[in-house]
Amino acid sequence: MASNTTGAPLLKVEHLTKEFPAEAGMLAGRFSKRVVSAVNDVSFEIHAGETFGLVGESGCGKSTTGRTIMRLTNPTAGKVFFEGKDVAQMNKHELKDLRREMQFIFQDPYASLNPRMTIGEIISEPMTIHGVGTKEERMKTVRELLDVVGLNPEHINRYPHEFSGGQRQRIGIARAFALHPKLIICDEPVSALDVSIQAQVLNLLKDLQKQFGTAYLFIAHDLSVVQHISDRVAVMYLGKMVELSDWKTLYTEPHHPYTQSLLSAVPVPDPDVQKSRNRIILAGDPPSPLDPPSGCRFHTRCPIAQARCSQEQPEFREIKPGHFCACHCAAPFPIKESHIDL
Amino acid sequence: MAKKHTNHTDLKEKPIPEGRHLLEVDNLKMFFHTEDGIVHAVNGVSYTLDRGETLGVVGESGSGKSVTAMTIMGLIDMPPGKIEGGHVYYRGESLLDMTEEQMQHIRGNDIAMIFQDPMTSLNPVYKIGHQVGEGLRLHRGYSKKEALQRATELLDLVGIPEPEKRVNEYPHQFSGGMRQRAMIAMALSCDPDILIADEPTTALDVTIQAQIIELMQEMQEKNGNAIIMITHDLGVVADMADKIMVMYAGRPVEFGTADEIFYESRHPYTWGLIRSIPEQAIDEKKPLTPIHGNPPSLVNLPKGCPFAPRCPYAVDICHEQEPVHITTETGHYSACHFADDPEFLKFAPDTSRSRGKIATGTPETIQTKPTGGEA
Ligand SMILES: Nc1ncnc2c1ncn2[C@@H]1O[C@H](COP(=O)(O)OP(=O)(O)OP(=O)(O)O)[C@@H](O)[C@H]1O
Ligand SMILES: Nc1ncnc2c1ncn2[C@@H]1O[C@H](COP(=O)(O)OP(=O)(O)OP(=O)(O)O)[C@@H](O)[C@H]1O
Ligand code: SF4
Ligand code: SF4
Ligand SMILES: [Mg+2]
Ligand SMILES: [Mg+2]
Repeated sequence: MASNTTGAPLLKVEHLTKEFPAEAGMLAGRFSKRVVSAVNDVSFEIHAGETFGLVGESGCGKSTTGRTIMRLTNPTAGKVFFEGKDVAQMNKHELKDLRREMQFIFQDPYASLNPRMTIGEIISEPMTIHGVGTKEERMKTVRELLDVVGLNPEHINRYPHEFSGGQRQRIGIARAFALHPKLIICDEPVSALDVSIQAQVLNLLKDLQKQFGTAYLFIAHDLSVVQHISDRVAVMYLGKMVELSDWKTLYTEPHHPYTQSLLSAVPVPDPDVQKSRNRIILAGDPPSPLDPPSGCRFHTRCPIAQARCSQEQPEFREIKPGHFCACHCAAPFPIKESHIDL
Repeated sequence: MAKKHTNHTDLKEKPIPEGRHLLEVDNLKMFFHTEDGIVHAVNGVSYTLDRGETLGVVGESGSGKSVTAMTIMGLIDMPPGKIEGGHVYYRGESLLDMTEEQMQHIRGNDIAMIFQDPMTSLNPVYKIGHQVGEGLRLHRGYSKKEALQRATELLDLVGIPEPEKRVNEYPHQFSGGMRQRAMIAMALSCDPDILIADEPTTALDVTIQAQIIELMQEMQEKNGNAIIMITHDLGVVADMADKIMVMYAGRPVEFGTADEIFYESRHPYTWGLIRSIPEQAIDEKKPLTPIHGNPPSLVNLPKGCPFAPRCPYAVDICHEQEPVHITTETGHYSACHFADDPEFLKFAPDTSRSRGKIATGTPETIQTKPTGGEA
């Protein structure tokens, strides 16, 4: 794809950790040490123009990772570098620039648009905040953007409720692209949409990336959507990154038992394939991030756990160039081809 | 509440008349009469279902999947709803002619439903055990104690750990997956003949979804009940369904066996759905082929074929004349004017079968134990 994995990264995340106080409000004791371990020691890089997919089950810390990178919330520990600059060290001016270069697309096309603003106002808002152009120039840009995302520029004065879910998601995308950012964090941008509409929005995101060279941090729980859009993919479990590689390796030779079980659990829309593939069915629910299991956080559900797994935390190590995995026993699993229609 | 219904003969004990099916839905129509006009929510639904079978119902949001199931269960308020035609036969008996009292006995006892949102169907103020045992008290004349005892067994059966403790908890103390299991326990409590599951896994993560599907299949094997599985996920129907009905704008546009729908589909809307799914193929990443536009309003349906405004193959007749069901000898039907034109059917998408890449191999399922690793 358009990715450039050799040069300096656009975004570098180092040992990112985010904890939330366990008890909110009045009951939160000053001396209470209990915390929700939402994101723990996560490191990765995103290169200019690439799509970096982030998958995992509900509550594993995907959104928190995205929000912490955006500085919508401060990290408990760890660093985020944008174009080589430590985000924590940035002055007001630099932070404002950063907000131009990094945009967010939200999951819920219904809740994320202000119902009292016209779509012209919504899409031009980032330009207004950053003082880009005159009002006329901004409206001209909005019309162009509406055209790019496949909406009728005549509808510039309409309100969000007059649009369908897929159309509202297009409005959110147009807004995110208004300042030609270098990175867009897309948090479940198609999860609320029907498949036929989902396909429209995914194609649009790909086209825009080609046109503008934007990088995406693409957060989703749907593995086939992530496979389709991503250059590289990372899997999270209970606040930890457990595996990271180029998409092809991850989907054909997953090494982490959690990645393997996730892939084997996705129902494939093809009865023949579905009948003939191997599966791992994990028991139980993921444990609470309030009290994550000792050692490897996956050991309570892992089909191949060993005695040491509950004691020693596995290191997130590079098992092959560009392929990282956090498991004491990482090895390719026989699930591999059978779930994929080759 | 009036007296117990223990004197009713269970319909599920009645033999199915010769040549009939467990459930027969025949050209069912139910419209909502609203201020904005008539909502054509269920518009000519037909299918048959036998014991031990699973019917998958798929379609986009608002296509009428839930309302069709609720109509069969007699759960639509009339008005605003009104049956506009058609029949529903359960073991040869007409459900649409039953009294509300008869339907109350059928619901939960003969035909049970798992609703789309577990939080709206589990009552937050009652303990789980009370709710799971409710059907047994109502339909089977169980005492409170007996019902609680059975509820505990049912929770155990659906894989909820420490059921003796969990029966005394409230829904908010359960995780999403556990609530869904409790709903299944509740639905299965009276050994229903038919289990209607409305998006039972949509809100769940894939690993939990896999557990729930496995559970429903195990229960079906044990009890021989039929399942109607409502979902928008073609992967889930590929996994579970024997037969599939594809709905569009309140209409079934195609119905057939799972193989017929996935490998021999005869309707452009089904083709569009299949083409919209991100491909599993690993060797190339082609752009997806979306269906352009949006589904029509069920109040102002377009003239002719409801799919015509979005159909890439639409011609004049499609905008003029509503297609009827064209049925093959196996009962596979399609509501497209060209469903029996071999030239037209060449537009159907490639499948793993048509490409001759049939997956083979003996599948292996590994089930982990909840305590795995602590051993
Ligand atoms: N503001 C907050 N205060 C306390 N806990 C929080 C807060 N935000 C998130 N959490 C917790 O942190 C964990 C990670 O949440 P996060 O929203 O990042 O998960 P996610 O992977 O995005 O899940 P989903 O797929 O459901 O969106 C969860 O246990 C969540 O309850
Ligand atoms: N009480 C009602 N009055 C009027 N219209 C209704 C009523 N209930 C449902 N509808 C309409 O009937 C149509 C079918 O709705 P239904 O809930 O069956 O869709 P669905 O296929 O289950 O969608 P989803 O996938 O979103 O659950 C929709 O257009 C809906 O707006
Ligand atoms: S480290 Fe142990 S418990 Fe963790 S994934 Fe690997 S084998 Fe399983
Ligand atoms: S009848 Fe015409 S518009 Fe309808 S599905 Fe067939 S070809 Fe398309
Ligand atoms: Mg999230
Ligand atoms: Mg529904």
